[in-house]
Amino acid sequence: MRKIKEFLRTLRYFLDRERRSRELEDEMAFHREMAERAGRPEARRRFGSPVRLQEQAREAWGWTWIDRLMQDLHYAARMLARSPGFTVAAVLVLALGMGTNVFMFTAMDWAFFKYLPVRDPDSLVRLLRQAPDNYAGVMSYPTAAYYREHAKSLSAVMTLMSGRLELAPDAKVLSANYVSANYFKELGASAAYGRLLDPALDEAQSESPAVVLGFEFWRRYFNADPAVVGRRILLNRQPATIVGVEPHGFPGLGSQGDAADIWLSITQQPYFVAGSKALTDTSAGTVAVWARLAPGVTAQMAEQELLSLTNVRRTLYPKDIWKGEIIRTEPAGHENVLDAGTMRGVSIISALGILILLMTCANLGGLLLARSVAREHEVAIRIAIGANRRRIFRQLFTESLLLALLGSAAGLALGCASLKACLLYFGRPTWVSAAPDWRVCVFLLVMTFVAAIFFGLAPALQLARQQQKKTRARQILIAVQVAASCLLVIISSLFVRSAQHVLYTDPGFGYEQVLSINPGLGEHGYTPAAAQAYLDKVERRLRATSGLASVSLVKYPPFSGGWIENTEVNGQRLHTYRNWVDSEFFRTIDIPVLLGRNFIPGDKNAVIVCEALAHKLWPGENPLGKMYGDKGIVVGVVGNASINGARDVDALEFYSPAQLEDMSEMSIVLKSNGAPDGLVPMLKSTVQSLDPKLFPEIRLLKSTFHENSLELEQVALLMSLMGVAATLLAGLGILGLVAYSVSQRTKEIAIRLALGSPKIQIVVSVLRQFAWPVCLGVIAGAAATAASSQVLRLMLFGISALDPLSYVTAVGLLLGVFILAALLPVRRALRLDVARALHQE
Amino acid sequence: MPMNSMPKSGMPSGALAMLILRVLNSGPLHGYAIAQRIHVLSSEVLEVEEGSLYPALQKILLKGWASAEWGISETNRKVRFYRLTADGKKQLDAELEDYDRVTQAIQTVLRTA
Repeated sequence: MRKIKEFLRTLRYFLDRERRSRELEDEMAFHREMAERAGRPEARRRFGSPVRLQEQAREAWGWTWIDRLMQDLHYAARMLARSPGFTVAAVLVLALGMGTNVFMFTAMDWAFFKYLPVRDPDSLVRLLRQAPDNYAGVMSYPTAAYYREHAKSLSAVMTLMSGRLELAPDAKVLSANYVSANYFKELGASAAYGRLLDPALDEAQSESPAVVLGFEFWRRYFNADPAVVGRRILLNRQPATIVGVEPHGFPGLGSQGDAADIWLSITQQPYFVAGSKALTDTSAGTVAVWARLAPGVTAQMAEQELLSLTNVRRTLYPKDIWKGEIIRTEPAGHENVLDAGTMRGVSIISALGILILLMTCANLGGLLLARSVAREHEVAIRIAIGANRRRIFRQLFTESLLLALLGSAAGLALGCASLKACLLYFGRPTWVSAAPDWRVCVFLLVMTFVAAIFFGLAPALQLARQQQKKTRARQILIAVQVAASCLLVIISSLFVRSAQHVLYTDPGFGYEQVLSINPGLGEHGYTPAAAQAYLDKVERRLRATSGLASVSLVKYPPFSGGWIENTEVNGQRLHTYRNWVDSEFFRTIDIPVLLGRNFIPGDKNAVIVCEALAHKLWPGENPLGKMYGDKGIVVGVVGNASINGARDVDALEFYSPAQLEDMSEMSIVLKSNGAPDGLVPMLKSTVQSLDPKLFPEIRLLKSTFHENSLELEQVALLMSLMGVAATLLAGLGILGLVAYSVSQRTKEIAIRLALGSPKIQIVVSVLRQFAWPVCLGVIAGAAATAASSQVLRLMLFGISALDPLSYVTAVGLLLGVFILAALLPVRRALRLDVARALHQE
Repeated sequence: MPMNSMPKSGMPSGALAMLILRVLNSGPLHGYAIAQRIHVLSSEVLEVEEGSLYPALQKILLKGWASAEWGISETNRKVRFYRLTADGKKQLDAELEDYDRVTQAIQTVLRTA
C-alpha cells in the first residue's frame, strides 16, 4: 500500500516536473538569500553551482532516468534522422531478420500452441491404435461405437470418415466428411445459416438426410446464397436436404480432420454409398476417432479403461484386435500434434530463423562499426567537454535499441503481411488470423533486446572507450556472417537441386498416356468374388474399346500414396513400397522387365523386385530364385519406378501378384493410344453401365503429376528466394565492412598512390585482413551444414544431403558475390584524388 | 570546533532524515529554518548544507513523511513550509526507538569490554 502511494507520488512529480523544478529553484534561492543575510557570504561559494545542486535534489524524485532516457531517445532519433540512408538500410536488414522470425513464430504458435477455437479444447483427445509392431490412426466403426457406449472415462466420442460424392446434375465430385452427429455440438459450433447436424434429428434413417455445406464450398458453388438452406439436392443420385451452412472459419479438429465440401451424418453413409459395409465391418480401419475426457479424468485413466475394453473386445473379435494392442490418446485441442517427429522439423525451422536473425545482426554490427568511424570525432569532442563515458555508452546503446525497435516494428509488419498472403494463398486453416497475439509480441520484444545487444554492444563499447579500432571484432563479424550465409545458401541450393531432381528425373514409368480408374468396389460392399467378376467384365469391355492400348489391375495406382512396409527383410531393415499387380501392369505403364519373367496367372508367392532393391539385397548376385522374406520367391527384376514414392530418396519397390482377396481394392490402369484427355466420359459410362451404384474416381496421371510438380516448384522457388536473400545480405555486410576499412585507411592509400605503389598491391593489402575470416566462415558454414545432413536428409528427395554439386555451387556463388562486394569500395579508393585525401586529414 | 565541512556522505544517509523529522515534530518549518534549527540545536556542531538538505527533503516528501504548503517567511517572502504527517510521526518514532536501542547497545559494549 505504502509502496503504491509512493509510486503514485513519484508519477505525479514526474508529470508535474516543470512546476516542481521551478518551486525547488525558488526555494533554494530563498535559502541562499537567508544564508547571506545571516552574514555568511562564504555560503554562496561553498554551495557551488545552483544548477548542480538543484539537479542533485531532483534526483531524489527517482525519475531522472526517465528524463535521461528521453534525452537519449531524442538524441538517437536525431542521429538516425541525420543519416537516412544508413537508417533505412539498417531497418530493412533488421526487418528481414525479424520478419522471418515473426512469420515462423506466428505460424508455429498457431500450429502447435494455440488452442483451436472450439469448446473446451483441453479435454479433446484423439484415439489411436498401437501395438508393438503395428500402428493405425483409424479403427473400425463398430469398435469406436463400442468405446462410445462403454467407456465411462469419455464423456463423448466423435468419429470422422472422409469420402467423395457426386453432386447432380453436373456430376461435380465433392469431398464429404461423414461425422458422428454430435460432432458440431461437441465442438460448440453454431451454423452460419440454418442448423448443423443434431444427434436427435440426423442419426435415424430418413428419406432425405441432412447435409451441412462447408463454408467455402457454399461460397464458391452456391454464391453464398442463404436461400439454399432447405433445398433438396442429389448426392450419388440419392436425395438429400441442405439444412445449414458450416460457420465461417470452423476449425474442425485441426489438420487431422480435413476440411470438406459437405458434412453428413456418418449413420447415413450406406445410404449414399450403396452396399457400403463401413458401419458394420469390424476388421476395416475406416474412421478417425476423437473423444472428450469426462470431467476429472486424466488421459492415463482413460487409456487404462480403453485397454480393458480392448481386451474385452478381443474375446469377441479375436481376429480384428492386434496382439498387445493398446489405445493411445493424444491431445487434440491444437491444429497439429507436436510429437517427436514434428518437433525435429520445428527445431530445424527455428534454427534457420535464428540463423537468419544472427546473420542480419552480424550484418548490422558491421554497418554500425563502419559508421562509428564517422562518429569517433563527435564522441571525442563530447568526452573532451566532460561527458561521462558511461552516459555516452548508454546513449549509443539507446541508439541501437531504437534502431532495433524500428526494425522489429517493420519486421512485425513484414512478417504478418507475408503470413497473411500465405494464408490467403493456401486457404487453410481458415480460423487463423495473421494478427500477432501477445506471445508473438513478447517473443519479438525479447528478440529486439537480444538483437540490440548483439549488434549494438560492441560498437558502442568501442566508441565509448575510445579504443583504437581492433580489426578482431570486424573479423569475427565477417566470419559469423559468412558462416551463417554459407549454411543458408548451401541448404537452399540443396533444396533447389532436390526439387530439380524430382521434377526433371524420369520417374521410371510412363504417365503421359495413362489413366487410372478407382471404381471403389470395396467401399460399395463388393465381396472379393463379386469384385473379380465385375473387374473381368469391365476389362473385357475396355479391351474391346478402340483407343486403348492396354488395360491392367493394380492395388495402389501411381500417385495415390501407396503401401509402405518398414520391415526387416533378409537381415536388412528396409523401407519399401509394395504393390499388388496383374501381369499386364508393367506393360501398361512402361516399366521394363530386366531379368527373369513377368507374373503369370496362378503365381502366389512370386515376387518381382526393382533393380535397386535387388542390388541392395543381393549385390553382385543373381537375385532370381532368391527368397524374399519368409515366403516370397524372386521371379523377376524390373526397372526402378517411383510410382508412389516420388519424393522418397530411399524408395524401393517390390510387387506381388494380386490375389482373389485383393480384388475389391483394385484399381484399373489403362494406356491410351493417343491423347487420353477425351476418354474420361466414355470410361465412366463403361464402369457405371455394369453397376450404376458405382461412382468411379478417374484420373489422368499426367495432371496429377503436374499438380505434384507445381507444389515442389513452389517449394524450390521459396528456398531459392531464401538463398538469394542470404547472399545479398552477406554481400551487403562485406561491402559495408570493406568500405569501412578503406575509409579508415584513406590516408595510407593516398600516400601509397602518391608514391606510385602498384594498385594491385594496395588492393591486396586492404583485402588481406578479410581473407582469413571469409575462409573460416565458409569452412564453418559448410561443416555445419554437413553436420546437420542427417536431419536434412529427411527433407531432401533424390539427392544426398552431402551433394557436392550443391556445396560447390553455393560456395562459388557466395565467393563471387563477396569478391564483387569487396572490390566495389576498393575501386573507389583507387580513384582517390590524392591531394584532397591528404588535405582532408 | 564546528564541523563546517561536512562531506556529502559524512552523516549516515538515514540520520539527516531523522534529524529533519525530529525538528519538524515541533511544528512546520521552511527549508532554511530546518537547517538553522539543526545547527542551533546541535550547539553549532552540525551544519546542513543545501546539497544534502534539499535532496533529503524531496525524499521525505516522496515517502509521504512530510507535506509541503506555501506560506510567508519572516522576511515576507513566499516559501515552502514542511509539516510532519502521521506517517512521518510514525517513522520518527520508529527511528528514534531504533537509534536508542543501538546507542544503548554500543554504550554497554564500551563500558563493559
